[in-house]
Amino acid sequence: MAAVEQIGAARPRRKPQFWTVNKLRVVGIVVLVGLWEAAGASGLFFQGVLPSSFLIVKALLSMMVTLDFWNHVGVTATEVLVAFVLGGSTGIAAGLLLGANRYAGDVFEPFIHYLAPTPKIVFLPILLVLFGVGMGSKIALGTVSAFFPMALSVMAGVRQVSPVLLRVGKTFNLTTAQTVRMIYLPALVPPLATGLRIALGISIVGCLLAEYKLAKAGLGYLAGRYYEAFTIAPMLAVLAFIFITAAFGNVLIERLVRLPGPMDRRA
Amino acid sequence: MNTVTTNPVLRLSNVAKTFVTPNGSVRALDPVSLDIRQGEFISIIGPSGCGKSTLMNIVGGLLDDYDGEVQVDGVPVRGCHKEIGMVFQEESTFPWRTAIDNVAFPMEATGVPREERLSRAKDLLRLVGLDGFEQRFPSELSGGMRQRIAIARTLAFKPRILLMDEPFAALDEQTRLLLGDKVLQIQQELNQTTMLITHNIAEAVQLSDRVLIMTFRPGRIKQVIDIELPRPRSSKLMGGEKFGHYVAAIWEDLREEATRGLLEMEGARSGS
Repeated sequence: MAAVEQIGAARPRRKPQFWTVNKLRVVGIVVLVGLWEAAGASGLFFQGVLPSSFLIVKALLSMMVTLDFWNHVGVTATEVLVAFVLGGSTGIAAGLLLGANRYAGDVFEPFIHYLAPTPKIVFLPILLVLFGVGMGSKIALGTVSAFFPMALSVMAGVRQVSPVLLRVGKTFNLTTAQTVRMIYLPALVPPLATGLRIALGISIVGCLLAEYKLAKAGLGYLAGRYYEAFTIAPMLAVLAFIFITAAFGNVLIERLVRLPGPMDRRA
Repeated sequence: MNTVTTNPVLRLSNVAKTFVTPNGSVRALDPVSLDIRQGEFISIIGPSGCGKSTLMNIVGGLLDDYDGEVQVDGVPVRGCHKEIGMVFQEESTFPWRTAIDNVAFPMEATGVPREERLSRAKDLLRLVGLDGFEQRFPSELSGGMRQRIAIARTLAFKPRILLMDEPFAALDEQTRLLLGDKVLQIQQELNQTTMLITHNIAEAVQLSDRVLIMTFRPGRIKQVIDIELPRPRSSKLMGGEKFGHYVAAIWEDLREEATRGLLEMEGARSGS
C-alpha cells in the first residue's frame, strides 16, 4: 500500500518572506510621511494647512496630559462601544434570521439591501429630536450605522454555507441545535469577523459625525472645535488618535474572532 | 469470502420516484428491487440522468417522498438514520477542522468521550492511509486526501451500509485507481457492506461483487453482472483477461443507454 501514501502529497505550509514584506511596509509608511512633509514645506498649500508631523505629535502629547482630552475620549469610547454592541448584536440576529428563513429573507431583504449603502447621517435630525443632543443621539446613529453591514455579511454568510456540508450533517442525524453549533457557527466565523470589523469602523464614523454636527463633548466635537479655530495641528492630532485607536480595535477583533476554531476544540 | 446469509442487510422493494415539476411530472426511477448481503460490494452504473443519484438519495434518506420501501435488516426505514452512511461527490470536509477533528465529527455529535473519539479517529485515518496528517487542515491536503478524510469520517459513524456517490469523480484516473485499492482494503478489513454509484466501468469491475446497470430515464435495473474475480483484489487486476471481458460486457449493455441519453440530452439542448 506504499503507493497510496504518496498519492497527492500534502501541500507545504507557505512561509511568508518575513523581512521583505515588513521592510516594504515600513518603506511605505516612510514614503507617505516624507510626501506629507515635502508637501507641507513646498509652500504650495495655504500656511499651516499641512503642519509638520513633528508638530502634530507634539500637539497630541500635550493634549494627552490634560484631563479634558480623556473626558472627550471617554465620551466617544462609550458611545462607540454601546453603538457597536447594540448594532452588532441586532445585526447578527437579523442576519441569522434573514439568511436562514427564506420567507423572512424575501420580505425584508430589499429594505436592508437598499438601506445599507445610504448615508445614515440623514437620520441625524430625527435622532436628535428623539434622543437629545447628548450621547443618546450619537449612540443611536452609531447603532443604525453598525446594524446594516453586520446584518448583510451574516445573512450572506448563512446563505453561503455549503449545502453539501449541511447534507453531511443531515446524514449524521444532527439535531437543529447541533447543526447550528457544529456547522453554521464555525462556517460563519469569517463573515462574522468581516462584519464586526466593518461595523466597528462605521459605528465610529456614525458617532463622530453626530458629535461633529451637534454635541457638547467627544472627539468629533473636539476636532470640530479645533477646526473652527483653525488650529490645524491639534485637530490632526485628534484625528490621528482616532485613526490609530480604530486600527488597533480592528486588530483586536481579528485576533479575537480568528482564534482557531474556538467551538471545535471543546471537549 | 462472502458469507451468504439468508437475510439481506439492505432490501429495496419497488422503490420508484416521480418528480413533479411545473411542466408536468418526470419519471426519474421505475420500480427498483434489490437485495444486498452483509459484506457485499455493489456498484450501480448508468448514463447521466439514469436516476442513480436519486436512488442513492432515497436509500441515504435525503429524499423522503418516494414509492416503495427500503428495509435495513428487515426493518422499514424512512429518512436519515444511523445504519446508512454517505460519502458525497462534492468537497465535503469541514474546512475549519483538522483531519482528525473531521473524522471525529460524527462521534462528537453522538457524545462519544473526547479521548475515545480521537483514538478511533486516529485509527480510521491510518486505515485510509493518512497517518501523520492528523493535524493538517483540508486546505493543506490534496483532493484525494480530502476525499479519504470524508470516507473515514463516514466510517466513524459505523454505518451498516456505506453509500458512495461517485466519490472519486473529481480525481484524476491514476489517483482514482490507487484510491480504489484503498477502498478494497477497507472493505476487506471491515467487511463493510457498500453501495457505490459510478460512471466508471473499470472502477465498478475493480471493486464490486455485483454491477447493476441502469437504463436511461426512467431509471430501471437493466442487467446485473456478477464479478467473479478472486479477492483480495487490487488495481493490478486491470491487465487480466477476465477484467477486460467484464468491462466489455458492461459496456455492451451500457452503450445503448448512454447513446440514448446522449441523443436525448443533445435533442433537449437544440430544441430549447
